[in-house]
Amino acid sequence: LGAGQSIQQTYDLTRYLEHQLRTLAGTYLNYLGPPFNEPDFNPPRLARAERVPSATVDLDLWRGLTDNARLAANYRAYSRLLCYLRVLDGQVGTAELRHRLAHFCASLQGLVLSIGGVMSSLGYPLPAGPAGPPAPPGVPTAPNDFLKKMDDFWLLKELQTWLWRSAKDFNRLKKKVPPAVVTLRLEARGF
Amino acid sequence: GLVQSCGHIIPESPVLALGSNFTALCILNESCLDFGNIYANQIIWKIKNRLVPKEQYREINRTVSSVTFNDTSSLATPLTCNILADGQIEQNIYGITVTVGLAPEKPRNLSCIVHQLSRLRYPMTCTWNPGRHTFLDTQFRLRYSWPQETFPDCIPKDVNNSCTIPDVQFFVNTEIWVEAANALGKAESDPLVLDPVDIVKPLPPHNLSVSSGILPTVLKLSWENRISDAVMKLKFNIRYRIIGDRNWMEIPSEDTASPRTSFSVQGLRPYTEYVFSIRCMKEDGVGYWSDWTEVKAGITTED
Repeated sequence: LGAGQSIQQTYDLTRYLEHQLRTLAGTYLNYLGPPFNEPDFNPPRLARAERVPSATVDLDLWRGLTDNARLAANYRAYSRLLCYLRVLDGQVGTAELRHRLAHFCASLQGLVLSIGGVMSSLGYPLPAGPAGPPAPPGVPTAPNDFLKKMDDFWLLKELQTWLWRSAKDFNRLKKKVPPAVVTLRLEARGF
Repeated sequence: GLVQSCGHIIPESPVLALGSNFTALCILNESCLDFGNIYANQIIWKIKNRLVPKEQYREINRTVSSVTFNDTSSLATPLTCNILADGQIEQNIYGITVTVGLAPEKPRNLSCIVHQLSRLRYPMTCTWNPGRHTFLDTQFRLRYSWPQETFPDCIPKDVNNSCTIPDVQFFVNTEIWVEAANALGKAESDPLVLDPVDIVKPLPPHNLSVSSGILPTVLKLSWENRISDAVMKLKFNIRYRIIGDRNWMEIPSEDTASPRTSFSVQGLRPYTEYVFSIRCMKEDGVGYWSDWTEVKAGITTED
């Protein structure tokens, strides 16, 4: 795939993930039950939730990053988010929800690969560390059920925000990187 | 006590390629030689009780006789090694089953389609030409992968030319191929590399409704699409005919080539009953048309 196609495909996948998560999160929070499924539930972010890559960033800082740095940040975040999600995936009681979580996990794995594909097509090195998602740094199990649910709540919330912003990142990148130019530049360097 | 066998054949249960040559050895036990006063030159080879011509035998030594077949097509099960003991009574020493067949050919014409089943369910069915009949138990597997990610194989049930993967992922280029394997060998199809979103046959729109408006020559169609924009944007075909008439008329495709959930059909005859049907596909034309919706009737107002 050329860079342009690769970015377009990654953008489409990000929007597809957003679409999946919109209904999946609602179903999952209903599965967790009150207060997690109440629209105005807005808990403070506990220290435990810090382990999940926070999507809250200074937008000016974020926009000021180079394309390479921003792609790498996305790559690392989704690699880690995927680990936490896989922990979630294994514990859910209902078959339909398990199926949808498994589908979402596979899509997210696809996103990690796609971002890696975009970086390679633009000539950027992949972030250091194993190709696949790093093992969760010893995800300490929550001391009680409520805190476990809180972890799940924050994971889904952060994921939604990451996907929302990544869609904008790839949309912007799509416009910056017309396919022909990149291919020529790569060929000029003897690729 | 148990009857002790006086010999055995190697190879034990061979699977042989059709048209190849084959040699088997019958090896007598030393113990039987002394006791039974039997030697390799008394061995008779049979296929299904049919005598194998002596020219195909060879006495290797006192205890071993070989038999050779230049073309395994003449072979059948069982192949037995027998002794004509004491000159008269024929005794069976050992027998083997022989399976003759062909290595699998490279599966060809691999093609896949994703049939949308519901808003969230997109199974992908792949079909292929399995190649010649092999006469052997041949396993086919549909395999698919991403770079650095392999998925569970799809094992066909009751057929050897099709398999359905229950749940595919969109927007990631997926390599798909078929593997055929039996006792005589393995073969792989050429791989397909595609994004499953490009081979979708969507569900047709539903809840099609027809409403008349102020103008007697116009009817408005409305419907609901059953695939999310996040998966694909759609284009449409709309066809209609006067009730009782056989010929369909179709709206020019360029007029319905963009995402929508309604369309006003113009140039109709006043006070006339029409039936309408629509179908959809991916906006960029990559993939398959859905089936047509069931027809829906509507009447234009009087002039």
